[in-house]
Amino acid sequence: MEGSLRPSARRSEERRCEACARPLWRGDTLTELADRAEFRARLEEALAFGRPAPLQPAPQELAVLLIDLDRFKGVNDNLGHAAGDALLRHVGVRLRSALRDADLAARLGGDEFAVLLEGLAGQEAVSRIAARLVDLLGRPYLIDGCIAHVGASIGIAFARPGSEAELVLRRADLALYKAKSDGRGRFHFFEQELEEAAEARRALEFDLRAALALGQFELFYQPQVDLAENCLAGFEALIRWRHPQRGLVPPDRFVPLAEELGLMDEIGEWVLREACTEAMRWPDALTVAVNVAVPQFASGTLVKKVATALSVSGLPSSRLELEVTESVLLSESRSAIGQLAALKALGVQVSLDDFGTGYSSFTQLRSFPFDRVKIDRAFADDPAVVRAIAALGTNLGMRTTVEGVETAEQMERVRGEGCTEAQGFLLSRPVPATEVAELIARLGERLAGIEEEARK
Amino acid sequence: MRKAPLCRLVYVSRSALSGSAAENEREVMQILNASRRNNTRDGITGALLFSEDCFAQVLEGSRAAVEKVFERIQIDERHRGTVVLACDPAPAREFGEWAMAYVGREAAREAHYAQFTRENRAAIASQEVLGLLRGAIARTSAA
Repeated sequence: MEGSLRPSARRSEERRCEACARPLWRGDTLTELADRAEFRARLEEALAFGRPAPLQPAPQELAVLLIDLDRFKGVNDNLGHAAGDALLRHVGVRLRSALRDADLAARLGGDEFAVLLEGLAGQEAVSRIAARLVDLLGRPYLIDGCIAHVGASIGIAFARPGSEAELVLRRADLALYKAKSDGRGRFHFFEQELEEAAEARRALEFDLRAALALGQFELFYQPQVDLAENCLAGFEALIRWRHPQRGLVPPDRFVPLAEELGLMDEIGEWVLREACTEAMRWPDALTVAVNVAVPQFASGTLVKKVATALSVSGLPSSRLELEVTESVLLSESRSAIGQLAALKALGVQVSLDDFGTGYSSFTQLRSFPFDRVKIDRAFADDPAVVRAIAALGTNLGMRTTVEGVETAEQMERVRGEGCTEAQGFLLSRPVPATEVAELIARLGERLAGIEEEARK
Repeated sequence: MRKAPLCRLVYVSRSALSGSAAENEREVMQILNASRRNNTRDGITGALLFSEDCFAQVLEGSRAAVEKVFERIQIDERHRGTVVLACDPAPAREFGEWAMAYVGREAAREAHYAQFTRENRAAIASQEVLGLLRGAIARTSAA
């Protein structure tokens, strides 16, 4: 099916603005669209020209669309750069096909495109064009006999004449970021909340960078119970951030950001030292489990840092347990496994955390002789899964801990299913270091109470 | 003169025509006329099927020409959801006599978008489309 092909876009030179006498059209040689500098210049012009003047009708808004191709890298990787270039050329033509001649389309670089729309009435009209572009750019491409699929995410910002070009572009970029984080292959308009969220993130980032130096991190401790002996086995150390204005910030609000900012290696080192020092205040039989994140392996200095934390605190290595998630094994796994082996050689215990939620592959379970598998809290109520992992652990010579145990009945059941340890709100929430001694003192009674309750 | 190797592409797409049956038929006739004009120029032969909810088309020609037409087709607003069922080298033209043969809704009653785009059967669906077009064209020619 075919037909009604729109006349190809008028040559760029014709659309050049004579009044401002800019000497050259700066174009992208690959797609024959405008390039970044040209787009920027035309945007500034449009914002300046439309400035309200006496006796003129109210100036019209203009809209900037920033467009990113989704999965374009895959085309380059799989079909080669020549095919990638061909696809970008097709994108250029498809873009133009959906626009009016007066609209400006540009390739800003790589797989980033931009469109400037003037004289369109409001959000609805722009929505229609954006939806059309998402549809059009997401249709299959035929290149050198191969079908290629990419998608498009679009961020849109409106601007009144007189606005700063920089501001408009930043707003469109925030909207684009939102379109991508909402799942790509869609468009999103700039909203004030996006700016507020970006501002909040910047502030959080600023505070987080200072948190370690200001001593705002704390460790909370959650008990882990030996199910065979029905006694306390140790504690897992969990990081908290106590900020004077923000209060207690939960880890899911700052750990991912700390990782992104490259702060996790240093924070992790502090956690290790602090946890080892704290554990020295507990009875000799109790262990302390510390979470170790991917960036701590990336620096290559983890083994040294663990050894230092042990020697400075005087904690015997057998009382320290390091918890890693399978993401550690997935990232540069050879080097990570080497470091895990060196840690084990120190006498430290190593456990695989959050098992069951990710890939949970047998390959990973066998890739390293873990001392323990921790079954994710999501499965505390799934007897079949718990039983299977417990059996697997037993056969591989690993202990198994169930996380997220909340009722006496659950605890009784996971004991029966062959798990060796349990952890969860039933036993205690994570408590600050100052409350650990008291928790140790009353946990024996608590465990007896739970047993009583389960027997009923 | 050595001819460029022949390539055959088969695709289906969902019709985005929203008029009455007669209006849609007229629109498709316009598509067909434009297509025949362009194809004669570009050395493309093939056949177009238009049923109640879908288009199915076979394009034959040099790979460069087929890719050019396909891209032109892709930016047409009157359809969406294109699925390429086959794009292979071909020993000879199946529809060599046709700048674009046409099979309309009467002859294409059993053709449905959902049927052609079921998962993991593109190769079979492409044979079904070819068969349907061949059969319908043969019947029209014989009549």
